[in-house]
Amino acid sequence: MNKKQISITLGLMCMILTVSIFIQIKTIWRANTTVSQSFTENGLRDEVLKWKEKYDNAYYELGKAEDELKEVRESASQDDATSLAKQEQIKENNILLGLTEVKGQGIKITLTDNKASSNDLMSMVNPSSRIVHNNDLLEIVNALKNADAEAISINGQRIVSTTAITCEGTVIKVNGQKISSPFEIKAIGSQALFSGSLTMPGGYLEIMENDGVLVDIEYLDEVIIEKYDGVISYKYVHNND
Amino acid sequence: MKKNKIIMTIIVGLMCLVLFTVMFMQFKTIEETDITAIENMRESELRTAISEWKTKYEETNTKLEETQKSINEYKSKLDKNEEASELVDQELQESNMLLGKTDVYGEGVVVTLSDNEQQKIKASDLIVLINELKYGGAEAISINDIRITNDTEIAFIDNSYIIIGSEQRISSPYVVKAIGNITYLSSVLSLKDSGFIDKYTSSGKTVSFETRKRIDILKYSGDMSTKYINIEEEK
Repeated sequence: MNKKQISITLGLMCMILTVSIFIQIKTIWRANTTVSQSFTENGLRDEVLKWKEKYDNAYYELGKAEDELKEVRESASQDDATSLAKQEQIKENNILLGLTEVKGQGIKITLTDNKASSNDLMSMVNPSSRIVHNNDLLEIVNALKNADAEAISINGQRIVSTTAITCEGTVIKVNGQKISSPFEIKAIGSQALFSGSLTMPGGYLEIMENDGVLVDIEYLDEVIIEKYDGVISYKYVHNND
Repeated sequence: MKKNKIIMTIIVGLMCLVLFTVMFMQFKTIEETDITAIENMRESELRTAISEWKTKYEETNTKLEETQKSINEYKSKLDKNEEASELVDQELQESNMLLGKTDVYGEGVVVTLSDNEQQKIKASDLIVLINELKYGGAEAISINDIRITNDTEIAFIDNSYIIIGSEQRISSPYVVKAIGNITYLSSVLSLKDSGFIDKYTSSGKTVSFETRKRIDILKYSGDMSTKYINIEEEK
């Protein structure tokens, strides 16, 4: 009787030991992949930096080349009135395209995610309403355009004709660049029109404020809007003439 | 003899306890290593970052080469004392094209949104669609043959009808045309669940989608002047 009991306990212990050994092995195997993963990650990080540097260099070169182009263009068409007019037109186009830094009177809207816990019932039910989403930014940009904004930027990213405002997981991207709260939206244009279309009761900003997002609006006599820090070039569009 | 038995039981019991503790610790470790899922995500994020910077670099580089080419063209004209107006014309034409002031054509997609009994298409639906198209690399977009430029707004008036570009009223069906890489555009729009087509169809809206080898988009013929912008006069 006594012997039987002992062998049962021993058998049980053996089983437990085997199981735990298997678990051990599995854990170690996983841990190893984590190590190798962070190795590849470091490599990838390096590569990201490498391409970013290459881009920065090319972008700097491009800036210099564009200045030079302007110079030779000017000296080539010095005594030609129509060419001069066309040059002005090109300059004007670059402003409209967002390829020039501009300033003028306008508005600065700052939207901040409201992370503080509040006792407000609405925000407890739906905490996501207190956070700024990419669709909110789209609506505000559209409202600014509706008020005839002439230049718009979000956190330094100029809104150009190819700009997409997207949401990847918890990150908002403008022009492919990650941005995060606080969102600073700047626009140049008529302050009267801006206040009419944006800050009116029932306007989009009021809705956001009621939802719990922190909204701050400033009217400024001089807003500086950065130029687009990328390249606008078309590959699939052909002129139809 | 009895004393021995008790000691044995205690020892076995203790061993079991130790083993169980070790086992639980192990389980915890495994749970922690499940974070590798996030690690994986980081890796794929890094990969997208690389391809994004690479694309930006390539675009910039092409543009740089083009700019240098035009510099050289101007210079050779200058050397030969020839008229440069042709080159200025070319550049102006190019920049007008980027702005949307020319009629253009190219491959692309057509997305049609229409009102049905349950759901009316809203301005915000069109805003989201245009954003998605731009994300897919659309180079020229029109809604019901009205060109969408950078300044075009889409407004929903009295919750009943849509106007674009300040004064033009449009109504269902909304035919949205976009020129760009067909593969990119269709894959962005038809992503499962999160793509525009899936999302809007499942919420009961009528969306149809087709790709075309040739899409014609008319120019924007309105005024594009600015009143409030002062240019930073360059040094």
